[in-house]
Amino acid sequence: MSGYKKIRSVAMRHFSNKLFSVRMAIMLPILILFIPGMAWGFSDPKVMLPGGITPSSATEVMFYTSLGIVFGATMCAVLLSFDGVSKDRASGVLEIKLSQPMQRSHQSVALVIGHWLAILVPTWVLWAISFVIVNYRMGDWPSLLDGIVSFSSVALILLWYVLFSLIASSHAREQGTSIAFGIGIWFLFTFLWALVTTMVAFASGVSIGEENDPKWIDLEGILDLFSPNGVFHHLLETRLDDAERGVSPLITWTVALIWSILPWYWFNSRMNTIQP
Amino acid sequence: MSDVVLELKDAAFRHSISSRSLSKPFGKIQGTGIYSINLKLRKGQILGLVGPNGAGKTTLMRVLAGIFPIQKGEIMYGDSKTNPLLPTSELTLRSVVGHMPEQVRWQGKVSVKRTLEDIAEMQGVAYRVDGILTIVGLSEMKDSQLDQLSQGMRQRLTLATALLGSPKILLLDEPFNGLDPVAIRAFEQLLQELAMKGVSIIISSHRVAGMVHIVDRLALLHKGQLLIEGTLKDIENEFELDSRIEIQGPGKIPDFEKILQGSISILESQNTEHGWTVIIRTKDDSLLKKLVSSNIEISTWKVKDADIVEMICAATGQDLDEIGFGVVSSTMMPYKSRGEEE
Repeated sequence: MSGYKKIRSVAMRHFSNKLFSVRMAIMLPILILFIPGMAWGFSDPKVMLPGGITPSSATEVMFYTSLGIVFGATMCAVLLSFDGVSKDRASGVLEIKLSQPMQRSHQSVALVIGHWLAILVPTWVLWAISFVIVNYRMGDWPSLLDGIVSFSSVALILLWYVLFSLIASSHAREQGTSIAFGIGIWFLFTFLWALVTTMVAFASGVSIGEENDPKWIDLEGILDLFSPNGVFHHLLETRLDDAERGVSPLITWTVALIWSILPWYWFNSRMNTIQP
Repeated sequence: MSDVVLELKDAAFRHSISSRSLSKPFGKIQGTGIYSINLKLRKGQILGLVGPNGAGKTTLMRVLAGIFPIQKGEIMYGDSKTNPLLPTSELTLRSVVGHMPEQVRWQGKVSVKRTLEDIAEMQGVAYRVDGILTIVGLSEMKDSQLDQLSQGMRQRLTLATALLGSPKILLLDEPFNGLDPVAIRAFEQLLQELAMKGVSIIISSHRVAGMVHIVDRLALLHKGQLLIEGTLKDIENEFELDSRIEIQGPGKIPDFEKILQGSISILESQNTEHGWTVIIRTKDDSLLKKLVSSNIEISTWKVKDADIVEMICAATGQDLDEIGFGVVSSTMMPYKSRGEEE
């Protein structure tokens, strides 16, 4: 069997083991609440968001619904992957896996793809259902390109969080460290990044939180490139007409590529040298 | 039993361990491991790898399993005249070796069969695992969750993973741990059948007595070095641990040297609560006859087998206390040969 086929079959094993796990059964209601639930709420014609904003198109509603991805799906990605390596390592199963005639780099690719698909497939299904809900409530569909960008962005942010968790899992000797690292990263980028942005703005002499101040908007836009959640929103904003934060789509997609390649390379290197 | 399938030539591997300091917060130094191991494994041979805790048995097994890449020396593999003994890569090793690590703690809600299929998938073959589950006695448990398995059952599952893909070399690290006596007997029988079919087997254990009747040869490892390799008889002869007899009797210790007139050497003698115990070394076949004709009352007579502690003491020239401290010490200053410090 070729390396590609082996990767595919092992990845599918990881995928189905995780997809039909008890953990996924627990997380699925959270995903349903966060993704289609938000789509339902934001597509209400009478909805009034903070700042007096009322979403006027399906693309805009899906942009706001992406908060469900940031708060719910990324957390589920961490919870699904935090023991991807550490559990096997702690139990001794990793030694058996490392002694199989499959290259370590192939094993690492299969691990990433398997864990990624396990959170991606349900999230994509719910994301697609959200599109249908928005159409039902507003009678509007996003354009094909909007849809492609939207689905790709969701896939990328989930990949990044899966990679962070797997990296932590491969370095941790026990589960506690692994989940602490995963949740810590999630917490940093989901909640604390605003604080980091504020501190940098203060240090740079930029008025903090002045939504109409171009300096503040530019600074926030640049700092968001250093956060996966920020890049995710930059990607979605490439399809919004009135979003201009000083970062071109080319830079956004390049940074997204870097966020994908670097952690993957790190994880692959780690798996090439890991000891049972 | 003559073709060499696996050969280690001066193979060395040392673990890298953290050595943090202010100037080098992520510094690493070389730690314990195995040193200049030379070992040959023949087709259909069962080799017992023995040594105390920390001797390097597991490290050597992991090197042979292609998990640890050797840092010096060579590993050569060849299984036939058309595929002669040549230096080999870790990936090739992994394709011919079945590795059973020590004490794998299988856990989770996944079934036994599914777990075995997951591992089989990594070998790249669509594999029917039912046959292997039957061989290791897990066919009735195939739908059970891993969490429901006892330690012995987990050990059987680990063995099943090692047997996947019909390996030419089996590496078994402390395989008898947790198995009940019936399972141990069946396991030994299985190993002998596999050896008859040409599978070469290395069994690592810290207990010699448990495997002397199944292994063809023994390799004694201590502090990362291979002290000696050969048949048990060879090793006992080498260290003068053969022909030892333990005799017990009531009353006072007889004067054996006077009675037997120098044909024996007394290794140990002591008075006990119920009489006396002596351990003597002799090659005199008529010893028992001589003792009986001298009216010495004997309650116990048994041939004393060499154990691993005696072998190591003999090989290194150390006594028991030094051996004990040596095992827990982190200093890796292995002993090249008997009494000679490297």
